[in-house]
Amino acid sequence: MANNNLMVGLEIGTSKICVVVGESRPDGTLKILGVGQAPSRGVRKGEIVDFETAMKCVHEAVVDAEQKSDVMIKSVYVAVAGSHLQSFNNRGCVMLPEDRDEIDEQDVEDVKINAREVSIPAQNAFLHSVIQHYQVDGQQGVLNPAGMLGQKLEADFHIIHGVRTRIQNTIRCVKELPLDVEDVVFSGLASAQVVLTQHEKDLGALVIDIGGGTTDYVLYSEGAVRQSGCLAVGGDHITNDISMGLRIPMARAEKIKTEEGSCVLGNCLPGEMILLKDDSGFAGKEIERETLNTIIHLRLREAFELLKRRLEEESYLGYLGAGIFITGGCSLLSGIDHLAADIFEIPANLTHAQAAWGVTSAVENPQFSTAIGLVKFAQVMHTDRPPRGFSRILGKLFSGKR
Amino acid sequence: MIQLNKNYSLPERLAEFIPIKIVSVGGAGLNALDRIVLDGLETADVVAINTDVHSLTSSVATRKVQLGRSVSRGLGAGGDPDVGYQAALESADEIREALADARVIFICAGLGGGTGSGAAPYIAQAAREAGALVIAFVTLPFGFEGKRRNAQAREALARFSEFAHAVVCFENDRMGDLTSPQAGIHQAFAMADMTISQSVRAIVNLIQRPGLIRIGFDDLLAALRTRNSRCVFGYGESDSDNRAHEALTQALKNPLMDRGRMLADAIHVLVQVAGGPGMTLSEVEILMQELGRHVSDQTQILFGTVVDARLGDRLSVTIISSLSAEEDASLLQTPPAPSSASAESPVRERYQAATPEPEIRTEEPIVEVTTLEETIPVEEPVATEAAPVATPPSTEPHVIPTVAWKEEKGPGEKSATPAKQEVLQFEPVTRGRFEKSEPTIIEGEDLDVPTYLRKHIKVK
Repeated sequence: MANNNLMVGLEIGTSKICVVVGESRPDGTLKILGVGQAPSRGVRKGEIVDFETAMKCVHEAVVDAEQKSDVMIKSVYVAVAGSHLQSFNNRGCVMLPEDRDEIDEQDVEDVKINAREVSIPAQNAFLHSVIQHYQVDGQQGVLNPAGMLGQKLEADFHIIHGVRTRIQNTIRCVKELPLDVEDVVFSGLASAQVVLTQHEKDLGALVIDIGGGTTDYVLYSEGAVRQSGCLAVGGDHITNDISMGLRIPMARAEKIKTEEGSCVLGNCLPGEMILLKDDSGFAGKEIERETLNTIIHLRLREAFELLKRRLEEESYLGYLGAGIFITGGCSLLSGIDHLAADIFEIPANLTHAQAAWGVTSAVENPQFSTAIGLVKFAQVMHTDRPPRGFSRILGKLFSGKR
Repeated sequence: MIQLNKNYSLPERLAEFIPIKIVSVGGAGLNALDRIVLDGLETADVVAINTDVHSLTSSVATRKVQLGRSVSRGLGAGGDPDVGYQAALESADEIREALADARVIFICAGLGGGTGSGAAPYIAQAAREAGALVIAFVTLPFGFEGKRRNAQAREALARFSEFAHAVVCFENDRMGDLTSPQAGIHQAFAMADMTISQSVRAIVNLIQRPGLIRIGFDDLLAALRTRNSRCVFGYGESDSDNRAHEALTQALKNPLMDRGRMLADAIHVLVQVAGGPGMTLSEVEILMQELGRHVSDQTQILFGTVVDARLGDRLSVTIISSLSAEEDASLLQTPPAPSSASAESPVRERYQAATPEPEIRTEEPIVEVTTLEETIPVEEPVATEAAPVATPPSTEPHVIPTVAWKEEKGPGEKSATPAKQEVLQFEPVTRGRFEKSEPTIIEGEDLDVPTYLRKHIKVK
């Protein structure tokens, strides 16, 4: 990458592998130069289960992206997902020495370290610690405490961590290619970067990224990440349910899901049938539309209800001024926004990457939200002056782990 | 329908009283016994047996037997099963005397310690030799109590299953789930005792309550008979407007039941619905339909219903079954299956038809009486050799009725299907594409299994 402003996001998803090459413009905007993708194999529920196969697919996708964007890819930002990822909020606290009352950069660094001094399981590693806000002597909502006067500096962090080896598997897969890994990012957090505007983050918003294998969610309130996580249920589960319920092959189930599926019940004529054409090795079949929709509906309803119960453990659901934003490949299912709005009792919107331009067909596809989000994430990391209130991502324990 | 039944069955039923004894062995057994007595159980004699005099004196049991006056000198067995066994040998006569004159003997013991693991199997043997039906309720120690203790418990359990007709096994580790993690330890133990007490009382009631559709020993045995099994037990009671639904929900809530999920793998499920005179057929119907969703198509439902004026407005449901990892084809040839099937199948038919059919009604008591009489005489010669019931020799007398029954009914689908398909049940529910990946288990549900399957919603 000759140009320092080039950034590449790589998402190893369950259904597809996606590489987005983006360029950071001097005016702070992001231009998408090209998108490479390849169908994914050897990945289940957001995690690699067949190393060799997955590596080949990643390679394919990277080559595709290089061709389309005419850029040589050397290093990438990688998204990780998986049920092992967990998060919590923690507060760090630093008392200034008696003889000094001006908070300096060092104190800010100290409080960050202090906030991370929490016990996570031994096999886990920190993925992100996202600053929510600082407090100086009890004064709430301080954004940049350096230079302020005070005795006690506190900082609230949202910490995302996961099983170290499982995160390293993803890294290793990329390094074998060989590509450099600049950083690993929780895929939900990446999606949120491009799906939400700063205004929506301030108002309070929940991003639900329903991909092939996992459903990632990130909840923002007052501009800061409050809750995040990953549910290992996704579009694959719907396909599997359909395949088992209607007794048709997986590939057929996938096709009928994307072409005919809907999660709205009672919207079709009684006895309305869908004809599956016969194919080699598959005798044609007629399927009742209501049955198909019931299977999809039940699965998604369960996933949303599970999510709602998780989110209700803390009280931020009531503060979602901007509502719910659904993205990811599964958001293409018809009626999913109504279902989410119905369950959460909060308005829900379908959305895709907003804060970028270039290859618009890619930007407007919700399947690419995470990969584009990675580029946006990279851009923010590269910029010295992050936008006001944007959650700055701190250094990770990962650097130099391998 | 009720009147019709009365004509046919009630008078003779009322006359029958089955003497039952509840024997508790060791410290844990005594605790459970106290709970049973305090919960009130008038229809059975209770006997407390222990090596430790101190705990015996504090027991509320009416009859007490001290084991091994010279071996342990009034102290406990000190966690050594050998001492417990020696103590039991020393007091063998007293034990026999205490166990005499009972047709059903329940033995409660906590395995792992000295008395529970050492003496209790011996007592089970003595009970068996006395010619009674022996049902053991045992608890296995917590995992943290050490490997040695657990090994002792497993060994004792193996010996128990040799002598007892049925062993209901409660794992303490599982019982821990009964209470919230914040609850005090005494509460956790009290819950464990209560569960045992509930199941003992439920079974006693099951046997003794004169039922419209009665459940006999054979049904009970069929439901409980598996080796090293995990007992699935649930009891629920409700007097609300929606009592049928609520009682069942409560019964399924029992952690041993795992919200009814455990039932999916069971071969026999015994269900007794008891209620006051106000219990209606539609209530029973609702309840059984709901339960039907939790069991597989191949499951034998041994159904019984009782009208008991003492219950008043309440309706209670008792569900008993057992699961075994090593259940195999041999079980399918054991006596309870055919005999209970014969008792069960008319019941079921009649229930579905929802019209009283006297001829079937009369058929059922005959089956029961024969099996009842059969059970005990058959056991006696066997008992001296201490052979377990499930072994082939003892099945012989029962094989004949099986054939007879089949001839009578013709080669019905009912008799054919369980034999062929019950084995299949032990294959876990398929997870399809996710077969080889790490299961996603959230809130106790395996999310890889299609939602409609888990929620028991029928799709075409």
